[in-house]
This record gives sequence, C-alpha cells and structure tokens, in this order.
Amino acid sequence: MGAMSTRPAPPRAAGTFGRRTLLLVAGATPLLGVLAACTGGAPDADSVTPAQVDRLAGQLGVQEELVAAGALAFAASPELAAAAATLAEQWQQQLDRLRRAAPSVTASAASSSTGPAGSTPAEDTSAQGGDPRADLRARVAATAESHAAACLDFTGARAALLGSIAAGLRGHDAVLA
Amino acid sequence: MTGPASGPTSGSTSGSERSSGAATGTPTGTGEPGSTRAETAALQDALAAEHAAVWGYGTVGAALAAGERAPVGVAAEAHRDLRDRLAALLTDRGADPVPTEAAYALPFPVLSAVDAARLAAQLEDGTTAAWVWVLDQAAQRAVRELAVGAAAGAEVRAVAWRQRAGVTPVTAATPGLD
Repeated sequence: MGAMSTRPAPPRAAGTFGRRTLLLVAGATPLLGVLAACTGGAPDADSVTPAQVDRLAGQLGVQEELVAAGALAFAASPELAAAAATLAEQWQQQLDRLRRAAPSVTASAASSSTGPAGSTPAEDTSAQGGDPRADLRARVAATAESHAAACLDFTGARAALLGSIAAGLRGHDAVLA
Repeated sequence: MTGPASGPTSGSTSGSERSSGAATGTPTGTGEPGSTRAETAALQDALAAEHAAVWGYGTVGAALAAGERAPVGVAAEAHRDLRDRLAALLTDRGADPVPTEAAYALPFPVLSAVDAARLAAQLEDGTTAAWVWVLDQAAQRAVRELAVGAAAGAEVRAVAWRQRAGVTPVTAATPGLD
C-alpha cells in the first residue's frame, strides 16, 4: 500500500538561486523536501538573461497593478473589502515573493512596465466604471494569464514561482466569481 | 504544508520510489535542475501524484451523496487525463511510467462529506505541489506549459473543496510553494 500522494515539496525560497536538496523520507513515503539555498557555481536553471530581467520587471509591474486595483476596488465597495480581504493579503505576499525573485529590478523599472492590458487600475476603473467585483475579477484573471505566460519564458525557481502565483490567482478568480 | 503525504504509509517500494530515488535516499531529480533527467524525474513524481488523485477521488465520491458527486466526476476525469498524458509523455522519451499502487493509505478516516472535501482538497494540493515542482525542474517549454495549466486547474478545484470543507483560508498566495 502506498502513500496517498507523492508530493515533492518545491523550493521554499524562490528568490534564492542555486540550490541544495535535502531529502526527507517519512517511512517509505516519497515525500521530498527541497530546500533552496545559495550555492553559487555553474550556470543553472535559475540563471537569467537580460531579457528575462526585463520580463521579471514587467511581472512585478503587473502584480503591483493588481495590488493597486484591489485597493481601489475595496475602497469602492466595503462589502467586497470585507469579503475578500484575504485576497489582498495574498496579492501582497505574491508581490513580495516576486521582488525577492528579482532583487536587481528597481521599483521604477517595475512601475514603468505595462500591465496585461497596458493600462493602470485607475484607467480601468474609469473605463469600466460599473461593478468593482467584476472589474477586480477581470484584473485578477489578466494578471494570472500574464504570470502564466511569463512562466514559460523562465526555468527553475522563477518558473515555479510565476506558475504558482498564476495558479493561486486562478483560485482567487474562482472565489470572486 | 500538509497533505496526503502525511498519512500512514507502508514499507513497500513503489514505482514512484524507484523513479524518484526516495527509497534509496537520493533526491528526486538527480540531474541538474532544468536537465532532461531532472525533468523526467519530476514528471514521474507528477504521475505518481495523479495516480493517487485518481484513486483518492474514488474514496471522495463514495463518501458523498449521489447528488453531490458531480464535481468528483469532473475532477477525476481531469486527473485521469493528466495521468494518461504523463504516461504517454514519459513513454515517448523512453522512460517507464511509474505504475499506480494497488491501494493507498488514507491520511485520515473519511467518514463524512466534510472529510471527503478535506481529502479532495489535499489530493489537489498534492498534485499542485507536484506540478509546481515540474515547473522548477522542467527543461522544455512544452512541459512548463502542461505544468502551469495543470497546477492552475488543481488549485481551482482545491479552492472549491476547501470551501466545502470549511477550511480557511480557501485560497493560497503561492500554492505548491507554501
């Protein structure tokens, strides 16, 4: 009889690059814990090109826009703010992890990047103007799509982080539906 | 991070263990991250997780009333599809896909609809983690494309099951990494 699930634990710190693996075996459970740690060394899956640095800056900007859009939506709708406060916390957590994964990206570089729709949250609000929940949901979905697409252009811990954030935002989208 | 893997286990050596090296104490993905070897090992882990999910949803369905089983069928179908795609992918690259276990140990007794929802959420969490690990280890863009879609699908289903189970928070910032 096997364990209910094979569940490799991915890197704990996607913002640190290079890695050392630590295997945790509970009985015969193929439970694998992997700790990412700075080891330096040869070029690996976590190395980035200048183009990827720019791409990360773009994703930081996209996430910053989501955080800002959430603040606007919650200000417009106290009910939404009460119902979805956890989402705002998680968007900030995602932003923090993205920043740690892109330590060389400056705030100005991230802010100058355009979002998935190429517009600011304020522009979106004025353009759509109706339902804060629907507007926010659209922003969440667009952000998820953007991170999922960016994930394909990376390898290693950054790909895992972008993909994980995209998956998390898909879950947020479902909650807002 | 809690999940099905925290449940009781046997001392048998599974196909997954052969693949991952867990039984011998060597880490999964013994190749360099981003290498074909590491990618294949991560895909084997994902396949083992999908096998477990397919099996586990049988238990989830059995614990729910007939009128509550629709999402079980949808989820099980999604996992069967991923299982089959993974097996084909691994076969195409000359690897021997890990087989399903004859049976699995439940992480807790499933005695109610809430238990069933908790189990389903844990099954989805397990597959999400496996797919995020594939993202970390993948060498090929097509594999990352498969993995990012699979992780998203699993997290969406997990959210619904957490809601049914009364688990909070129902969402996660970075599923599979938390």
